[in-house]
Amino acid sequence: MRKLWWRHAALIVISIIMLAPFYWLLKTAITSENIYEYPPHLLPVRPQLFNFVDVWYLIPFPRYLFNSIVVSLIAVAGNLVLNAMAGFALTLPFVGRRSVIVLLLSCTLIPFQATIIPAYLITAHLGLLDSYLGLALPLLSTIVCIFIFKASFDAVPRSLIDAARIDGLGEMRILLRVMLPLSTPAIATNIVLSFIWSWNNFLWPLIITRSQDMQTLPLGLARFLSYMEDTTGALYAFVVMVLAPGLLVFLMAQSAFMRGLTTGATKG
Amino acid sequence: MRWRRILLSRFFIVPAVLLLGTGAWNVYVDLHAHGLLEGSVIDAAGKPVAGATVILSVHDFVTQVEKARTRTDAAGRFRFDDNPSHLIQLQAQDGTEASPRVTIRLWFRGQDRVVTEPLRLAPNA
Repeated sequence: MRKLWWRHAALIVISIIMLAPFYWLLKTAITSENIYEYPPHLLPVRPQLFNFVDVWYLIPFPRYLFNSIVVSLIAVAGNLVLNAMAGFALTLPFVGRRSVIVLLLSCTLIPFQATIIPAYLITAHLGLLDSYLGLALPLLSTIVCIFIFKASFDAVPRSLIDAARIDGLGEMRILLRVMLPLSTPAIATNIVLSFIWSWNNFLWPLIITRSQDMQTLPLGLARFLSYMEDTTGALYAFVVMVLAPGLLVFLMAQSAFMRGLTTGATKG
Repeated sequence: MRWRRILLSRFFIVPAVLLLGTGAWNVYVDLHAHGLLEGSVIDAAGKPVAGATVILSVHDFVTQVEKARTRTDAAGRFRFDDNPSHLIQLQAQDGTEASPRVTIRLWFRGQDRVVTEPLRLAPNA
């Protein structure tokens, strides 16, 4: 019991340390304090929400928000469809399967910045520059999420799949009717990860958008920072508004997300 | 049974509550965004000032642009009908006297508002 108490105390302290920057962010967003003010106030002084109103009106925030939502939805849909099919394919026996897995795993070592020029050229050849589909294109399928699906599908008993085959189901229907209903944690993990990656993506939208109308929230944040550098409260209010949807999606799918990440870890 | 489970899940309830809240807020904004702004001007002794000029400037972080001006009536009251912004400044002037600029923050563009604190004229420095 005594041991447990110390463990909880340590976890509380670590949580406070990890949440302190978020608290400071929120505190600055609801006040107009300068973030470098010394001595700093621990509690918000004269809190108000007008910084959020300023952000909403002084930049085209609704447009950025709409763009980010559309791009994230495309990325999430693409991830679910493509990653589920790829993950399922990797659970099936075929010649060169091991090589494909090794190739995919080795590709995770290549940073996106190294492939950004070919990715740009391909997107340009497809005529997708400055479009929603073009913005979502590199995130339509991610290797990490493919392996999350693969781990989840590997945990499904072989006998169940064999029974489905005997009943006459084709591979696609096995995926849709047997595998996916048993893999809701993997689906939730895919949704959360692809949403957050797409939502926070900065470099790719910066490169392929031409018009301000197609910019997403992270680009809006950079633009806001560049011409309103003295407005600390409004800047941090913007950051909170950018962070909030990602946090909301994560909190809604939190338990399934954790299960999805650990599926397969205890297999065998 | 399946529909009931879907309707009671947080994946339905949270977006539905957000959508409802957004809809209600938009209806409220639509009903209260006529750009009406009312207030009054008083002198240093606290008496209403008739015929004073009140200037409405739209203010943001980098610029401040005069958008409209009006004059107070016999009771010292003024009214703007077309405030376009959510962040404005008001200043009253009368001859050699002027009030300090008062910043008014609104919850949305053109929110109808009665400024309770009167603009107090003082001799120009």
